[in-house]
Amino acid sequence: MHWQAAPVPPKTFPESLVFDLEDVSYTYPGGSEALRGVSMSVAHGEKIALVGQNGSGKTTLAKILCGLISPTRGRIIFDGRPVVREELRHLRRQVGILFQDPDDHLFCQRLLDDVLFGPLNYGVPMDRALETADRMLELVGLKDQALKAPHHLSYGQRKRAALAAILACDPSVLILDEPTANLDAKNTEKLLEVLSGFSGTLLCISHDLLFLYELCRRAVVLQRGALHHDTDFDALIAHRPSLREHGLDFTFRFRCCMDSPAQDTPENPAAAHGHPASLRSTPEGCGASRTPLMELEDYSFRYADGTWGLRRLSFHVHEGERIALLGENGAGKSTLASVLVGIRSGFGTYRFRGEVVRGRLRKDLWRHVGIVFQDSMDQVVSSNVFDEVAFGLKHLGMKGADLRRRVHEALARVGLEGMENRVPHHLSGGEKKRLSLAAVLAMDPQVLILDEPTANLDPENEERLLKILDELRTTLILISHDLCFVSALTDRALVLHQGCLVEDVPTGQFLMDERLQSRYGVDVTYHHRCCRHVLAMQAQWP
Amino acid sequence: MTPIVVPWSWIVLGLGGVAGTVLITLGALGLRRRKRHGIESVPAADAEALGALPELDLSETASSVFHRWDPRFKIASLIIFSFVVVSLHFWPPLLLCLGLAAGASAAARTPLRRASRRLGAMSGFLLMLLIVMPVTVPFHEGDRLLLIDGLPILTLNLRGLELAARIATKAVVVALIMEPLLSTCPFSVTLAAVHRLGVPLVLCQMLLLMYRYVFVFRHEVQRMWVGMTVRGFRSRSGWETMASLGSFLGMLFVRSMERTQRVHEAMLCRGYTGAFPTTVRFDAAPRDWAWAAFWITAAGVAFILDRWGSVFRALSPIS
Repeated sequence: MHWQAAPVPPKTFPESLVFDLEDVSYTYPGGSEALRGVSMSVAHGEKIALVGQNGSGKTTLAKILCGLISPTRGRIIFDGRPVVREELRHLRRQVGILFQDPDDHLFCQRLLDDVLFGPLNYGVPMDRALETADRMLELVGLKDQALKAPHHLSYGQRKRAALAAILACDPSVLILDEPTANLDAKNTEKLLEVLSGFSGTLLCISHDLLFLYELCRRAVVLQRGALHHDTDFDALIAHRPSLREHGLDFTFRFRCCMDSPAQDTPENPAAAHGHPASLRSTPEGCGASRTPLMELEDYSFRYADGTWGLRRLSFHVHEGERIALLGENGAGKSTLASVLVGIRSGFGTYRFRGEVVRGRLRKDLWRHVGIVFQDSMDQVVSSNVFDEVAFGLKHLGMKGADLRRRVHEALARVGLEGMENRVPHHLSGGEKKRLSLAAVLAMDPQVLILDEPTANLDPENEERLLKILDELRTTLILISHDLCFVSALTDRALVLHQGCLVEDVPTGQFLMDERLQSRYGVDVTYHHRCCRHVLAMQAQWP
Repeated sequence: MTPIVVPWSWIVLGLGGVAGTVLITLGALGLRRRKRHGIESVPAADAEALGALPELDLSETASSVFHRWDPRFKIASLIIFSFVVVSLHFWPPLLLCLGLAAGASAAARTPLRRASRRLGAMSGFLLMLLIVMPVTVPFHEGDRLLLIDGLPILTLNLRGLELAARIATKAVVVALIMEPLLSTCPFSVTLAAVHRLGVPLVLCQMLLLMYRYVFVFRHEVQRMWVGMTVRGFRSRSGWETMASLGSFLGMLFVRSMERTQRVHEAMLCRGYTGAFPTTVRFDAAPRDWAWAAFWITAAGVAFILDRWGSVFRALSPIS
């Protein structure tokens, strides 16, 4: 089976339809066309994966389906009635949408008020609304946090709270936009558990095809605003050429699976694709006899509110080493990164190249240690791509031809050459991520720290990023929940738990040890299981 | 008008003593903080300072008479009390109100740290008043002057000093009253009560959303500031700094606009039609009326005593 890059006719469903889209198009006020002639039907109770590359129109389609924007052309029929202005309230009552950022959904002062917001707006009596809110908070495991302000919850908790707030409206259709972005394995599995119990229609936009694997039965693929495929999800992921055609080939991720002890696939197509982590070569000359590049000794950090960020950490990093910082959300990984880059300092000794980091050295640490943040937009402060990459270089004192050369080199390194005059805000998610990487690489840091580099990237951009990072010869510290990147890029894993360093082991050993993974909330059994199933399915194709 | 002449050495000793005390206190606080929490490096301190934002309400479930008091009565009574305090002219009723405010702050059982942080935030302005007003208040008949020996060009008006002290005291009373007023129930309940007292709904909703998202905004500011700091940006006074700050503010504006739109969309999807649903029910009890009567009576007594000022004029320390 193979699909051609041409629109396919929508499937016909004998069951009653929730949505029927007829030739739906949408053009943004600026003139950019987000959707082109999308026609599809959604039956009651279907679980659909809405996939496609960054910028393919998935979020726009989701907004149209829940009545936030109206199509510029075409017709939408919901529950047998055309969606017109008068029907919007009914549509929104039935369709719930979970945006990427949970803070968009939590606008009240207490979690309970947020969950009550929907039911009360729809006229549910207070006692029943309270009952529903109680049930939903229990479902997502946040019953004891009901009276807390949203900004006092962790990211994973906020994501689950946002889902509870939407489920409390009792929608018959649930649309999720990148539900697993930035979530650790524990929170992802909790989310999956809640969604598995949802009996209504589900449309899930995600680049995490492994997350969608057990959840969705049907796949709708969008490309440049047009509907390209509408088929069984299993058939889509089993066929690599089609996945590759749409930038969705996530097979490169299976290398982490290959080291799993439970690996039972006879033929492994990913074998030729990468090298297992356990076989990564240790950098030459990297030994205990040399002065470490970075060294922490009995190091602790406590936040102003009294919470411990780090507790008595001791480890060292040699030049050229590639280290993964692992742990559940809130384990202290980002705090440690901010200490290493000199943003924060606590108790204990931090040495860089054998010299204690304090005073002038700490202020100048940015010259040696670069960091790429989880959200690329946190780093973007310039009005065009060139200035953005030049920002750090100018502070290094570079100017004129040298500056231009370094900017062009950095952009070429990440595949953004020719985009110098583009506005960073208008770039796609993958391009933004590469831009923020270029801005740091241009400064030629001795140590590069990456905080969740794969968040919100489609598989093609992930693979491209993986290739760029794999070619770097700098010391690398990777903070990630993505064990594929961890296995492909690092040779040593530091596991943090509640601010303490609990394991310092070779990455290969960590990946082999499921007991170790589950003990510290980095359990990826579900991912391994899915990988094995997908590998088996792909092996069956001629 | 007989001026009081103070030897300049007294002034030097006094100022030196104050400066020494302040330095020792700050040093001790810094050491204590370092010991308890660790210290922040310069860039982080910049970022933290940018986002320094106290919480108005407390999540802890403390219990006091102010926690149990109906917020509508509490807000109306304490605001009337605050206005009366601001209108006072004489020290005895002002000191009476100061005592009441301190007592209320203690009775509210809110952490002393919060009240002291609030007072600390005002202290700079108040100190400036205490320094500037004795020199700038015009001399009237009967004012007492203070001259520094050997420094004839500097004449201090003690009426200005007294005026500044009175303003500072009023500010302290109002700041202390804010603790039982704002910290003893959730901010959403406070605003629901404010709405019941006649403040337009739109204004209350805007305040609610602003208070919620100011914390999200603070995180964004901090992250972006750190993002610039780790690429070498330092706040200076040159054009480059101005250009970077301009881009920084522009980007913040764009991000805030986008978030506003997304939040509005999320609200629409959950049935929002222009008003937040009411989750708060108020039920006034005789106890609430009694407490309101107490505070309004206290304010009334202070006001009458103040207007009966000729008696106190003679008692006033500087007149």
